[in-house]
Amino acid sequence: MGQTINIDVHHITRVEGHGNIKVNVTDGLVETCEWSVPEAPRFFEAMVRGRHYTEVARIVSRICGICAVGHTLAACKAVEDAMGIEITEQTRKLRTLLKHAENADSHILHVYVLVAPDLLGAQSAFALVPTHGEVVARALRLKRLTHEWGSLIGGRTTHPTTVVPGGFTRLPSVNDLVALREKILAAVPDLEITVDTVASLAGAIPDFDRPTEYMAVTSDDEYGLYDGYVQTILPDGDRATYAVADYRSCTNEYVSPNSTAKYAKNRLDSYAAGALARFNVNYDKLHPEAKAVAERLGMGPICTNPYFNSVAQVVEIVHSVYEGLRLIDELIAEGVNAEALVQPTSFGRGTAVIEVPRGILFHEYAFDEEGFCTDGNCIIPTGQNHANIQADFDALLPWALERAMSEDEMRLTFEMLVRAYDPCISCSTHYLDVEFVR
Amino acid sequence: MRYLIGIGNYYGLDDSVGLRIAEVIGERGLDRGFQAIDMGGNLLDLIHYLGPETEQVLIVDSARMGMEPGSWALFTPDQVATRKPQAGFSTHEGDLLKVLEFAAALGEPLPPVTIMGIEPGHIDDAPGLSAELESRFEAYVEAAIEFLNTGSELPG
Repeated sequence: MGQTINIDVHHITRVEGHGNIKVNVTDGLVETCEWSVPEAPRFFEAMVRGRHYTEVARIVSRICGICAVGHTLAACKAVEDAMGIEITEQTRKLRTLLKHAENADSHILHVYVLVAPDLLGAQSAFALVPTHGEVVARALRLKRLTHEWGSLIGGRTTHPTTVVPGGFTRLPSVNDLVALREKILAAVPDLEITVDTVASLAGAIPDFDRPTEYMAVTSDDEYGLYDGYVQTILPDGDRATYAVADYRSCTNEYVSPNSTAKYAKNRLDSYAAGALARFNVNYDKLHPEAKAVAERLGMGPICTNPYFNSVAQVVEIVHSVYEGLRLIDELIAEGVNAEALVQPTSFGRGTAVIEVPRGILFHEYAFDEEGFCTDGNCIIPTGQNHANIQADFDALLPWALERAMSEDEMRLTFEMLVRAYDPCISCSTHYLDVEFVR
Repeated sequence: MRYLIGIGNYYGLDDSVGLRIAEVIGERGLDRGFQAIDMGGNLLDLIHYLGPETEQVLIVDSARMGMEPGSWALFTPDQVATRKPQAGFSTHEGDLLKVLEFAAALGEPLPPVTIMGIEPGHIDDAPGLSAELESRFEAYVEAAIEFLNTGSELPG
């Protein structure tokens, strides 16, 4: 008689939004193994229609409270593409610096608050306070640093205010950048201990491999967070590249009965986006300090263990800190100069690609000759990962059954897999529900 | 420093009221003597405003309190008996009170925190506010500023 398993996780915790895990095995026969997304559509593409090009980035920033910088930058880039706006080199550097702040901020949150409890056998980060107080305090110190870093460049980290089509409405001073540099350097010891902590917990990461296609932004001269073109890599190292304007040819969205979100696929039945995909596509362009950390954590390209997405995030935190320092040094040396916003020279259709913490993000908008939006399309990374999560589920279940896991162990293994993708399923309403003490 | 922190979902109809109050106060330059922060749903960032240098925090959010839609109340976290039923601690699950508990558990004393709860009329995936809240919006702005400037309450 085979094993019987019944896992029904309704609204998995420690992810953004709502997703369900359902696994049923009866006498060793798999009946259900399903990842489903029940979130309601949010219609942001409809909201931007009829709005002026100067408003679009502010609206779509609200798609996500964690990736607000990425959505703002993607919208600005798409608007600029549609309107023939060529930003200055100073703007490009400041935006890239802001992008590094967002990625590091989000990764610190994910690794410390959402993943670490699994590796330390705790229910939540809250439960870690009495047993691992220094770990939590370190996480908050690092998070505060990236929060201040993002706020300096973007006005604020959540829904930035200074980033607009054509440039910035407010610039940091050189003195601001010198002070930020000092703060980042002072955080390097915390960063090193973070790597030590993750290295000591690596044994708790499931040793599960499932090769897939990995998609990320790449660039000839940087890791590809802010700008570049689309590239995918297969487990055998075969690469394919796509122009940003042709993004629909590599995302191939389709509707799945399991989900209210669209799924995506390219050369295989699914592909992965996120830190692991970036690591696999762009390993050669990692900062040397980040490469050294990857080696210490036992990671090299092409890594096919989806649980290692969280480890790749640690590598990227290190990359962002050192690349951030490099950019700050350049800006300090060159001086930060007041610049007028670059104005539109035409109105039409524009596309943009950028990397947000959870993966590759596409925005596309069209504008009429008065600058009002007539069409919009956003393809977010979590939507692109849903099919890949399902494909992982299909391979993970027999892997787990072979190891005779208990139902509880299997539930945790599936939950950890979903959390490894750091999914941002939606930014749902969260109003308080209050009953007063009488 | 004193902070007015609006939280919510900008496109969640009345769930956006806290954000809109923070936004309007900032746009009109009414944040004199305090800073207005639009935090969106990124509640864990609240911890960064609870350090020893902070004198006072007023959090503005929609709150189901069993009152008439559009009514508001000022209360402190320890006056709230309910907690959302959550197995874990996440970001967008966003239990404000759990974030405050988390901050308190870290051992440092917290600054005085007051919550201005506004009873929603409608929460949905849509921009704007319901008519009930829109008609009283200026009163919310006035009450929030009054509280931060004088520490006293206007009737809700």
